[in-house]
Amino acid sequence: MKEQPLKEITQLIHAIKVGLVEGSYNITNKTLDIFKYIIMSKSWQNADALMQIVRDQCKILQAALPQETVTSNIARRILKLTREEFDLLHAKVQHFADDSQASMSLHKLVTQTSESNVSVDYSVPQQGLREALLDHLQEVETELETSSENICVQAEEHIHSSEIILTLGHSRSVENFLKRAIKKRQFLTIIVAECAPACRGHNLAASLAGEKNVEIVVIPDAAIFAMMSRVNKVIIGTHSVLANGGLRAACGAYTVALAAKHYSVPVIVLAPMYKLSPLHLCEQDAFNMVGCAEDVIPYDSIPAREAKVYSPMFDYVPPELITLFISNTGGHAPSYVYRLLTELYHPEDLEI
Amino acid sequence: MSFSFQACKMVLTSEQVPQTDAQTLKSKHKKQRQRNRPRNKRNRLEDSNTTTPETSATDAASAMPGKQDAVATEKTRDQVMAEREAKKLAKQAKKQKNATTSTAAAPAPPTASTTVSPTPATPATKIITEVEQTTITTKLTTTTTTKVQDAVVSKTTQPAAVNGKDAEAGDKTREQIKAEREAKKAAKKAGKGGGAKVEGVSQQMADLKVAEQVPVPANAAPAATEADQEKKKPALSKAERRAIQEAQRAAKAQGQTKKAQPAGKAPPTAVPKEPKRESVSPTKAAASSSPSKCPASTPNGDCRVKLFNHLVCAKEDSQFINDPLVHPSIARLGVQYARRTVVGSNARCIAFLHALRQVVHDFETPAKKEFGRSLDAAVKHHVDHLHKCRPLAVSVSNAYKQFKNQLTQLPADVPETELKELLVHFIDTYIENQIGKAAQAISGFLQEKITDGDVLLTFACSSLIQFICEEAKRRQVAFRVIVVDSRPGCEGQELLRRLHANGIPCTYVLINAVGYVMAEATKVLLGAHALLANGYVMARTGTAQVALVANAHNVPVLVCCETHKFSERFQTDAIVYNELSDPNQLVRGDKCQLSNWAAKGKLLPLNLSYDITPPELVSAVVTEVAILPCTSVPVILRIKPDIGY
Repeated sequence: MKEQPLKEITQLIHAIKVGLVEGSYNITNKTLDIFKYIIMSKSWQNADALMQIVRDQCKILQAALPQETVTSNIARRILKLTREEFDLLHAKVQHFADDSQASMSLHKLVTQTSESNVSVDYSVPQQGLREALLDHLQEVETELETSSENICVQAEEHIHSSEIILTLGHSRSVENFLKRAIKKRQFLTIIVAECAPACRGHNLAASLAGEKNVEIVVIPDAAIFAMMSRVNKVIIGTHSVLANGGLRAACGAYTVALAAKHYSVPVIVLAPMYKLSPLHLCEQDAFNMVGCAEDVIPYDSIPAREAKVYSPMFDYVPPELITLFISNTGGHAPSYVYRLLTELYHPEDLEI
Repeated sequence: MSFSFQACKMVLTSEQVPQTDAQTLKSKHKKQRQRNRPRNKRNRLEDSNTTTPETSATDAASAMPGKQDAVATEKTRDQVMAEREAKKLAKQAKKQKNATTSTAAAPAPPTASTTVSPTPATPATKIITEVEQTTITTKLTTTTTTKVQDAVVSKTTQPAAVNGKDAEAGDKTREQIKAEREAKKAAKKAGKGGGAKVEGVSQQMADLKVAEQVPVPANAAPAATEADQEKKKPALSKAERRAIQEAQRAAKAQGQTKKAQPAGKAPPTAVPKEPKRESVSPTKAAASSSPSKCPASTPNGDCRVKLFNHLVCAKEDSQFINDPLVHPSIARLGVQYARRTVVGSNARCIAFLHALRQVVHDFETPAKKEFGRSLDAAVKHHVDHLHKCRPLAVSVSNAYKQFKNQLTQLPADVPETELKELLVHFIDTYIENQIGKAAQAISGFLQEKITDGDVLLTFACSSLIQFICEEAKRRQVAFRVIVVDSRPGCEGQELLRRLHANGIPCTYVLINAVGYVMAEATKVLLGAHALLANGYVMARTGTAQVALVANAHNVPVLVCCETHKFSERFQTDAIVYNELSDPNQLVRGDKCQLSNWAAKGKLLPLNLSYDITPPELVSAVVTEVAILPCTSVPVILRIKPDIGY
């Protein structure tokens, strides 16, 4: 039997589709609220039932919003939490506290895989699971709230004075990051590629222009290569980080990264942890979507009648073009992303 | 030519429309005068067009003797005629005013405004094309269709399709006459409406229009040589001046409301000799008059990107027209350059050479001076003027260099007219060989490379690429084209339109999506502004990016470039030497966050014109000489003087 979506899920899907909820952070926050509500509700009696509900709702979200990977990411976090809490409580009961308290080190992961294969029966009702979960969820919420701030704090470590920085489009993380950098460092020049056809770069430029001691230059997307020779650092946001360390980012990011590679300019990607998704997609055809082409060429113009017009929304940026990820937990090389993923999510939850 | 048109049109209108008493009387007067006029080629033509058969017969009979001297003293006669027309018109306007004030309360001034006000709402077409003739040089034909709504007459609308044909370059008197005639037309219409309300007559009128749409001020237009000859008009009466002013204002307003549209349906006047790859992008003209001009649009030191302080910025074009030493054709070209109505390396070069030919044609050696040297000085002044309007394209400066070279080699002891002919011939062959035949040769090379199933990716709008694609289509190759474009110019739309007209299947994306379509492409064909001596390709901004992505996808990149665009300059980045376009083009409408950017602190839009593609991103350069690697440019430059000419 196919699971029915919860009322809240339907509302969220609708809100995202009509654009009431925008930005990865807001979507993540709303999804987390829903899962919190599910946990608080009395509809589940044991860990297994809860995990089933989370999985089902997550599948619905995924089917409705295939482009929003953060929803499944947060669902995976919840599943992992549930497993952890259950194990912990179970271990406490069984007086195995010493073992399960140990951290999930790489060594342990490698050596203990065969042992841990002993399947745990999650259907056993566990006392105090709900309270423990809600407790832990609070931590996740705080982490989410402070993620942007934690990224910003690292601005000083990466930007020196009189630097020329190039960015693309409008990412909230980048906006906050740059604002912090402008406060701390003098005489920055920030070049913003407008990212046609939506031209969200204009918003970022207008937002940054209010600050002092900074020069904001807005360029059309075509001039990225021309300007790259003078750029010290490229700082971009991303839609999500893929398992191989590649990016699924706004359209145009590929060109930026290629141009940066050509001029050996470091590319820094700001990606909070909730954007890390365990997806192995190595080309843009696997996930790309095309948007409305009206902005590219007016529908009523003569050539538009016959020509094929595309307005893709995403670009795939291969990991070799990226120098550094900055997440709320610190900097990571693209090659380290897989390891972060194993820490974040349980191996059994990679496929929901 | 144009004068006959004008005059005959007036006669026609005066005879076709039902007339009030005053008007019939007046037109009788006019006919009388016409008959008394000395016969020459012009009014013979004009009279043969009149509808009354007996007059035309007599005129034709009496016209023969005056023909020869008419050719010799064409210029002065033009002026005399112009003055006469002006006086006549003014008189009519005055009379009209007296006649209609009581009835319709619509004298010349108010009607002038009514003819103008409805135009924005109605569709207007402007077609620019180059016309080549022997006596009259290159000019721009402007066809305007304006629906004139007569506000005074109850609700009868009278569409008047105004079909414009350009006269000799922006002559001042002509300009005035045109304007006066417009005023007269309006006045007549008003009077007609007031007297007899019978007609909803739609008239087809031939109208003189100078393509620049700016009435050239009195002291600006005529070249020095012409200015000497020109006798100043007798003192104008008050009414005359009023009429002229009103009409000029009307003409200006009308010109402003004109919308540029694709230059596809060229009027029959377009002479086939011209290479039809003329790329006069109309989108540019529209962009230049974008509504969101911010007050501080002339970027001074404060509103400029620090990196580009060394570059000259685009200036307002109004300051260019007040130079009596500049030939009208050059003055117009300057405005066209500045407003980006003439864009593209080849188009700019052709337009320059046509204007140059006109300069040579009209040049008169000052007393006790040598022809070659004084012409050299004059041409230098003109080129400087063009440079001020917009930095010269490499193709233009190359053409100028060749022309100067030709000037120094002029034979002595040859009459001036022959020298002029030599130079004009040189200019014609330069256009034919360096641009026309070169394009054919390049296309020939590339046809071997384009086969069935090919997907060509190109960027922005290149006349050469268009030519190649059309040629391939003619060979019935099954290929398709991906046009990559970028804001703010969106020139690719023009190419898309042209390819679409030829039935070539196209795909259109913006430049940030180039990675999305690059996987489909089998070849990348790029046009170029210039090829630098170190093998770098200077082209429209974004070209380098396309080449970069193509390289990442291992798609061969072919740059098509005629050798007349080869430059001896060395350049390694796009910042040392570049051209800044109007930054306001980046602003998208009033709701855009960038609007009024000058007021928002250090927010600086930057609109670069060109970028530099390093040779390692280019597989080969296709020239009319051969398909070469980029690094062979210096070789071509060295052997170039031996090619052609």
